[in-house]
Amino acid sequence: MLDNVQKGFAKDSISRYIDLENREVSLAVLHDEAIYEEELHRIFAKSWLMLGHDTEIPNPNDYVVRFMGEDQVIVARSPDGSVHVSLNVCPHRGMHVCISDSGNTRAHKCIYHGWAFRPDGSFIGAPVEREQMHGKIKTKKELGLKQARVHLYGGLIFASFDQNGPSFEESLGEMKFYYDMLFQRTDNGLEVLGPPQRLTIDANWKTAGEQSASDGYHMLTLHQSLLERGVMGGEPNSAHESAPAMYGVNVAGNGHTLRCIPADTTFTMMAGSTTEDMTDAQRLELMPPPGITKELLPQLAKHMSPEQMHVLAKAPPVVGNIFPNVGILFIYVPLRDGSLGSGLVLHTMNPRGPHHFEWSTWFFAENDTSENVKAMMRAACAQGVGTSGVIEQDDSDTWPHMSESARGVVGRTETMKYQAILGQTRAADWPDKAEVYEGFSKDDCQWNWWKNYHAIMTR
Amino acid sequence: MPTIEKTAKSERAEVIFGSPIYNQVAAFLIREAHLLDHRLLNDWTKTLAEDLIYFVPVRVTRRVQDFEHEFASTGHYDDDYASILVRVDRLVNTTSAWSEDPASRVRRFVSNIMVYETDTPDEYEVVSYLLLTRNRADARDYKHLSAERHDRLRWVGDRFLLTNRKVLLDQVVLGMPNLAIFL
Repeated sequence: MLDNVQKGFAKDSISRYIDLENREVSLAVLHDEAIYEEELHRIFAKSWLMLGHDTEIPNPNDYVVRFMGEDQVIVARSPDGSVHVSLNVCPHRGMHVCISDSGNTRAHKCIYHGWAFRPDGSFIGAPVEREQMHGKIKTKKELGLKQARVHLYGGLIFASFDQNGPSFEESLGEMKFYYDMLFQRTDNGLEVLGPPQRLTIDANWKTAGEQSASDGYHMLTLHQSLLERGVMGGEPNSAHESAPAMYGVNVAGNGHTLRCIPADTTFTMMAGSTTEDMTDAQRLELMPPPGITKELLPQLAKHMSPEQMHVLAKAPPVVGNIFPNVGILFIYVPLRDGSLGSGLVLHTMNPRGPHHFEWSTWFFAENDTSENVKAMMRAACAQGVGTSGVIEQDDSDTWPHMSESARGVVGRTETMKYQAILGQTRAADWPDKAEVYEGFSKDDCQWNWWKNYHAIMTR
Repeated sequence: MPTIEKTAKSERAEVIFGSPIYNQVAAFLIREAHLLDHRLLNDWTKTLAEDLIYFVPVRVTRRVQDFEHEFASTGHYDDDYASILVRVDRLVNTTSAWSEDPASRVRRFVSNIMVYETDTPDEYEVVSYLLLTRNRADARDYKHLSAERHDRLRWVGDRFLLTNRKVLLDQVVLGMPNLAIFL
């Protein structure tokens, strides 16, 4: 059993708060400041973190400023086209070198004493060159902005401050097989539809983090208004029995998870539109995965293996996460012209102290989508998810309650429970990749997230 | 990236303060705040034109020299008449719109109204300030939001309808956990 009776702030190991045997996590992990500091060191200074997309900085010298944990970084494109992630802290006196969210410059010049840096972070020089104001103890080469490792995946910009950690692809493990179906499936890839929405939520980052790890179950109650309005299948007020979109295939590995859901079980507007005896090609023709239009299907076939095409035809990945703090929604949504379209959305949950996080939301479309459809997708995303979205405004309402519960000395001895266990099951036609949970969406994926969290925090 | 038109409208004829049209515009905005603050959302939809465009752009911090790029193509709201009706239907006609149930207590203070004529008779461009306070449940503090509204109103014989609203927020990182409320 967990030792949940705390005397002041706990300084000892995370193991005290996570009961691996009984699959419970003490609410104290949402509150403890010592744990938060450990997370900044062990998770946010080491993991591969998503900072945006390379279409946000299409031109040489373009840059955006983003966060890795509480560290601000400059994400910039060099004249040679390469993308660099540099700590936005002047090595001279610690001033932020860059003071706007985005722009284009050949030289990032600190406004304090004028030290200047190239888009790749290297030091150009300090004013009054003849006096060598950077001194003679350190060379110019030693005075660049601190660099993170960078990996571009389907145009998504990932970075890590752990110079010796695993590669990005190693960190994805077998889950890459599934993520490729979202991010690496067309000739020209994804395009971001504008800068992200950003808001502060008065909750610990893990409230949204663990939910993004494929909590399907909350949809039935928290998002009941969608059922009441007939957007989702099932009966308006007894949805808990018909449970639309609860059956599918959940996959997990290394804390990364995805829910793969047969489209015809999700939306009333697609009900009955597929039949069991169709081939993969026929099903995809009738119902391309979210974000893929019929015109893009030949590209899909070019980039995907037959196994991946089968998954996309049977139950495409639609929601999930990338550990630690990326949320994914690649979902079907109606567009304003009445057609069935898609919303391609990524979130990050970035910690801002133990009791707050910043929630960012990017909208995407496949680059080869028409401008008209892109505009409709952008609108549909804003209407469904993020700040004002009719789906996610209920999520952001929930997370602060959990953090507030953890403020109470008794409240924080309560636990989050992940005891609805499906267990690994895999139909014969489903690829043997990562952990596979076929059936009702239970707690298996979220528990995988917590197991990975525990492993990192106790390593 | 598309830009928002400049806020200075001096090239267009301004409707003078205190004139009958100015007063009607001010009355529209005051009554609208009343409807929204009192959650009379169905009544509010009757003040909207069917060709409504309702947009609250994402804002980014830019250097002064790049100020025209401050407002983005992505929106916190990116709506039209039909999608506003969907939002209202969810809030009014379902029993599970949790983000506003229990409802937050909201006050919209509208001021600094300037009215301009347009190329279309009976249509006016209106710039106003919005200060919004929001309190929910037993929160000690208020969530605040300040913004500049750029509206277009159409006179339809006996009243104004809102045909276009662009809300320029003063915050880049919003301090409230959602915009389950209309601005």
